[in-house]
Amino acid sequence: MTAEFAGPVRELQNDDDGGGGGVVATGISRRFGTVKAVEHIDFIAPAGQVTALIGPNGAGKTTLLLILATLLAPDTGSVRIFGVDPSENAAAARLNIGWMPDTLGVWESLTAREILTLMGKLYRMPPKRITARVSELLDLVHLGELADQPARVFSRGQQQRLSLARALIHDPGVLMLDEPASGLDPGARIDLRNLLRRLAGEGKAIVVSSHVLSELDEIADGAVFVNHGRSVKQQTLTEAASQGRRYAVTARDMAALAGKLEQLGLVYRTGTGRRGSISLLLANEADAVRLLRELVITGVAVTSFAPAAGALEETYLTLEGEQR
Amino acid sequence: MSITREEPSTAGMDHGGGYLRGIGNVVGLELRQRLRSRGWFILLGIWFVLIGFVTLLSWSGANASREYSEVAGGSQPSSAGPMIFEIVVAFVLLFGLLVAPALSANAVNGDRSGGTLAILQVTLLTPGQILWGKFLASWIAALAFLVSSAPFLVIAVVLGGMTPGHILVSLGMLAVELAVVCGIGVGISGLANRPLFSIVVSYLTIAALVVGTVIAFALGVRLTQGTVLANEADYQQSQVYLPESGQVPSGPGYVCGGPLQEQRTVHTERVAWLLSLNPYVVVADAIPYPPRAGQSLGMAGVLGANGMLEGISQGARAALAGPAGTYPCAGGKVQASYLEQTTPMWPLGLVLQFLLAGGLMWLGWRALRTPSRKLARGTRIA
Repeated sequence: MTAEFAGPVRELQNDDDGGGGGVVATGISRRFGTVKAVEHIDFIAPAGQVTALIGPNGAGKTTLLLILATLLAPDTGSVRIFGVDPSENAAAARLNIGWMPDTLGVWESLTAREILTLMGKLYRMPPKRITARVSELLDLVHLGELADQPARVFSRGQQQRLSLARALIHDPGVLMLDEPASGLDPGARIDLRNLLRRLAGEGKAIVVSSHVLSELDEIADGAVFVNHGRSVKQQTLTEAASQGRRYAVTARDMAALAGKLEQLGLVYRTGTGRRGSISLLLANEADAVRLLRELVITGVAVTSFAPAAGALEETYLTLEGEQR
Repeated sequence: MSITREEPSTAGMDHGGGYLRGIGNVVGLELRQRLRSRGWFILLGIWFVLIGFVTLLSWSGANASREYSEVAGGSQPSSAGPMIFEIVVAFVLLFGLLVAPALSANAVNGDRSGGTLAILQVTLLTPGQILWGKFLASWIAALAFLVSSAPFLVIAVVLGGMTPGHILVSLGMLAVELAVVCGIGVGISGLANRPLFSIVVSYLTIAALVVGTVIAFALGVRLTQGTVLANEADYQQSQVYLPESGQVPSGPGYVCGGPLQEQRTVHTERVAWLLSLNPYVVVADAIPYPPRAGQSLGMAGVLGANGMLEGISQGARAALAGPAGTYPCAGGKVQASYLEQTTPMWPLGLVLQFLLAGGLMWLGWRALRTPSRKLARGTRIA
């Protein structure tokens, strides 16, 4: 799938490598009536990476994705898809965009194969290439057996996978996924994760909007946090991991654990989870190693010691806190 | 990465054949969905049965009245063909006007609410291709209804009195009227957010064309009161119809004399264009009928002694001609009681209807453009 469909995507990418590869949006604003859906957002999704778009419901994620997918025009600001401005040359930009909306939008009476074939035609792919590409994608998203069933009978997860295949039909350089994991079973989630990593490895710029943060921890290289229509923070996962992380600790004797932590002069919170645990913020992994060793050596019967939340969740919660 | 495909700029800008192919793809998509929905076939079946029923009823009705007039020794041994033909055409038009909005008026916003419109919009399809594709698909679906009623028009011809030309002209005009309705429906569906709303608005628009134009004409005529220069018509001196002589009176039945005077009348020609918007007027006026210039029909011609469609046509033309052409002795001339088909009204009607449908399609096209700038409140475009 890589070599044969490596078309304009790769070419442009080579032209722009290091500079404007992937998606670059600057100063994007868009209002609907009096509602400012998106306000001066800067967004970069480099080629070869998975970029997460994170924010609470109604933060402007979908609006931003619609603007990036060339469906909505921004009031101000500009978008570049591998160096192409969609407002100047929408067709060229669209050849490079694969978009999977959160509302799946499936033609119910058509079969999976027909839908993919039609999409191939709409992207003006050569007919003989479409057939091969469709079979390939059906296998990729594990819909081979259902290929000739009308999409009506598909479960939500299957429609989701069909929608993903549809976004990939023309082998775009940018893949934009709006909540791709919702409705997927665990196995399909792992498949999706692997697929996205692989596509990123092939040099695509991948944008994933989600609020399942633990999910994104696994696949994202970087994240853009959006809230109230503004981009609040852009950070790589390495940065996120190094900013300090909350750990949850349980012991057989919670009182002894608490006592020891007080003795070490550490600030901790008593957890609200089902099994009472203590959580505390540690600067980095080295600190975590040291604390665990200290606890074990001093005879506290530790039963669990693990990050309480993903790195992105940590940032997310910090930002939420700042907003309030 | 040595493999090269065309530059995206050229691949995306492949005009001409590519444009039509895109439309074809949309039409194919729409029709395939339509063919797989059972509802459409059920509707088609009901349609067929209904038109058949109407044909049967009008045929047996015609037979019954002929038998009656034979028994009663009446004079008119007319064939049932023209009447069946007219009734079938009128019904096909009626049902067509009822069915076509249902086929077209949710074409765009139905997809929008189903989330499938945006899927098309992110591809290389242009708004024009999407809109034309949807229009053609709904028109083709509407034409299927017309085709299924064609056998009954053929029956009417076989029963006598009509020529194949009648079938061709009437089918052609019905097809054009369906296109107008589909254009109106698709255009409105691009403008309105909700399918239900656009369907209702489309039906109201059709109702405005069919009923509203007549009402508007009737009300508008009262505002066109004026005068026309005419002298006196004298009905006494005209030829008397004598059955024994076998002579058919050739004039309108009066002679003009005396000084020209201002006579109060209404200038129907000023509002007659309203009537031309009416699909029934357009269809009736376009269907040829045999010349009857030699006959004196007076008001009977308008009232339908020669058939309903001809009556509609003559009435509309009389309105268009205005008093200068219809008022007895206007300008001191005897008026022909029959308005030649050389002054047809249907081209005017078609132009006005095309303007209406085209304007709505254009507005719908504007609403389909992406990246879209304006968006109605509360709309999700995907």
